[in-house]
Amino acid sequence: MPAAIDIQDVEKTFRKKVRALRGVSMQVDPGQIFCLLGPNGAGKSTLVKILMSVIHASRISGTMLGMPIGHKETLRRVGYLPEHHRFPAFMTAEQALHFYGSLSGMRRANRLKRIQAMLELVGMAAWRKHRVGTFSKGMQQRIGLAQALLHDPELLLLDEPTDGVDPVGRREIRDLLIHLRNDGHTILINSHILSELETICDQLAVVVKGRVALEGTIDELTSDRRRWIVAYEGSGPEWTDEETRQDGRNTQVILPGASANDVQPVIDRIRGAGCSIIDVSEVRESLEDLFMRALELAGEDAATPGANKGRPT
Amino acid sequence: MNTGIAILAILRESWLTLRAEKLFKLVLGLNMLVIVAYLSVGFDDTGVSLFFGLTHVDSEYIRSGTPFARTLYLGIYSAFIVNLWLAWAASILALISTSSIFPSFLKEGAVELVMSRPTGRTTIFFVKYIGGLLFVAVQVGIFTLGAFIAAGWRVDVWDPAIFLAIPLVTLFYSYLFCVNVLVGVITRSTLTALLATLLFWFSTFSIHNTDKILTENVIRFQTSATRAEKRVAELEAERDAATAAGQTKEAEDASHWLQGPQQKAEQAQAAVDQLLPWETVMGLIQAIMPETDRTIGLLHRMLERDADLSMQDLMSGRAFEKDEDHVVPDEMEAAQIEMVDRENEVPGWWIISKSVVFEFIILGIALWIFRRRDF
Repeated sequence: MPAAIDIQDVEKTFRKKVRALRGVSMQVDPGQIFCLLGPNGAGKSTLVKILMSVIHASRISGTMLGMPIGHKETLRRVGYLPEHHRFPAFMTAEQALHFYGSLSGMRRANRLKRIQAMLELVGMAAWRKHRVGTFSKGMQQRIGLAQALLHDPELLLLDEPTDGVDPVGRREIRDLLIHLRNDGHTILINSHILSELETICDQLAVVVKGRVALEGTIDELTSDRRRWIVAYEGSGPEWTDEETRQDGRNTQVILPGASANDVQPVIDRIRGAGCSIIDVSEVRESLEDLFMRALELAGEDAATPGANKGRPT
Repeated sequence: MNTGIAILAILRESWLTLRAEKLFKLVLGLNMLVIVAYLSVGFDDTGVSLFFGLTHVDSEYIRSGTPFARTLYLGIYSAFIVNLWLAWAASILALISTSSIFPSFLKEGAVELVMSRPTGRTTIFFVKYIGGLLFVAVQVGIFTLGAFIAAGWRVDVWDPAIFLAIPLVTLFYSYLFCVNVLVGVITRSTLTALLATLLFWFSTFSIHNTDKILTENVIRFQTSATRAEKRVAELEAERDAATAAGQTKEAEDASHWLQGPQQKAEQAQAAVDQLLPWETVMGLIQAIMPETDRTIGLLHRMLERDADLSMQDLMSGRAFEKDEDHVVPDEMEAAQIEMVDRENEVPGWWIISKSVVFEFIILGIALWIFRRRDF
């Protein structure tokens, strides 16, 4: 199956001065949740906007849903939620969805059916006749998701989809994204909140200073960083080759890159020494660790703001 | 078909945007007031009644059934209500309302939601532009309907030409709105777009009027020179005849009286020579500017097309002159009459087409920027 997004060598320079993207290449497989990570000003939003024809790339080659980037008709099959989106404040939720649905070429009968369904899906059905201008940030975010989903797109590009949403709402959105993925939709999420992506992300790319520093599936990227940790109570055997960590009265033996079989002799040694095993677990590198590793690889300080601050990012 | 749905959606959104503006309702209310005031003017056998009969002005000429009444009533509509209210006050209010259309649309967070759709940027641009003109078209449409009914009721003139105010005022407004859009697209600032448009409007107004004043003065001095030269020729003929007849005294008198007209002719010619280069320069500048005043003036022309009397005749009092009262107008008045005749001779197609060319150039630049811009 061809990639939902397959781009090579994307470059963008603003006003011949600020290089926001410096040859980004990546592939998003269909039916996956792809997370685009990176510090502020890394160029993530610029990349998404290029895919949606909102920004013109200085150089690009590749396809989205099998068609060249910039092919307008393809956008009918793509849903997009921009960061800091704003709807006409005087419109009701229903009017706003009619407007955006019409822009995607949806006929009235279809719109009526889908608007009701989408408002229910994002938990805003009771607010359909209320003006968008009176909504909280979280409610506007839900309407934003509804407009992105309204025309039943194959591909969803979501820029900070949980921005301003309360914890319950975030969980609902996460569940919704998993449901959509299971339904065959491809989702590209651009977000800062790594803990949220941790549980739903299939593939990811970390963009730093306009370049992809790391890309792959979570398994691929963390396979050589997996470790087993065996925790026990009491004074155990002497460890010479193994890494250990003291945690109060407990000791942790850390076995990087070990398999389940490699752990068995360690457990035997601890038991042989008459100690009680508290926990045996396989630990994967967290998304945050991965993110920090990518920054280190790129020689970037996580706290460093992007070069193109104040411009589309 | 899909593009059609999107176009209708953008137009509907523009309409909802305008309807949500408080100024839209204010202008609509003021329009109604003006129409009611217009409707309150009536004619009877003895003169003109105002404010639905609250006051009355007796007039021998302007009364029910006379051509004066018809000319005056339609003239009030075209020369005052359209010219002053619709083309000035209401247009300023419309500009304040519509200046935000493009800057608001281009704000971060709003523009992405529209630009990321299958509809092309050119279509979005033009539909948004037309959406802005809707403000004026709808307001003027309601206004002219009121004026049409008023003219029919008061002077029994059911002239569909009254409705020409809709395209003409909208066209006039579009000359200003294109500048507003260009500045709005470049700066994304409502205030800057509004101020730049008002400045542009003031410039066109100033250029047009400076050109008019210069031309009027050139005509005035040319008339003055021609008349003085004619008088010089007459006096020279008198002098020559007196000399030939041996009437020395008469010949001397004629020579003496010659000096005044000769001096006047020379002064007038000098003034013409001085003004002519400036008039040419202003004429050239005027040639590339849109014809705001003249476009509105076309309505006046259309409404007076079959009338025996013009509003100008009425205003100057010439309409009430009898043949025996007729005197040769002075140079200033002659120049004004000549200017009116010249203005009326400028073809309508030229006024509109040169203005539309200007508008297309400005819109072309705005569209070029809009299409290339990153949002």
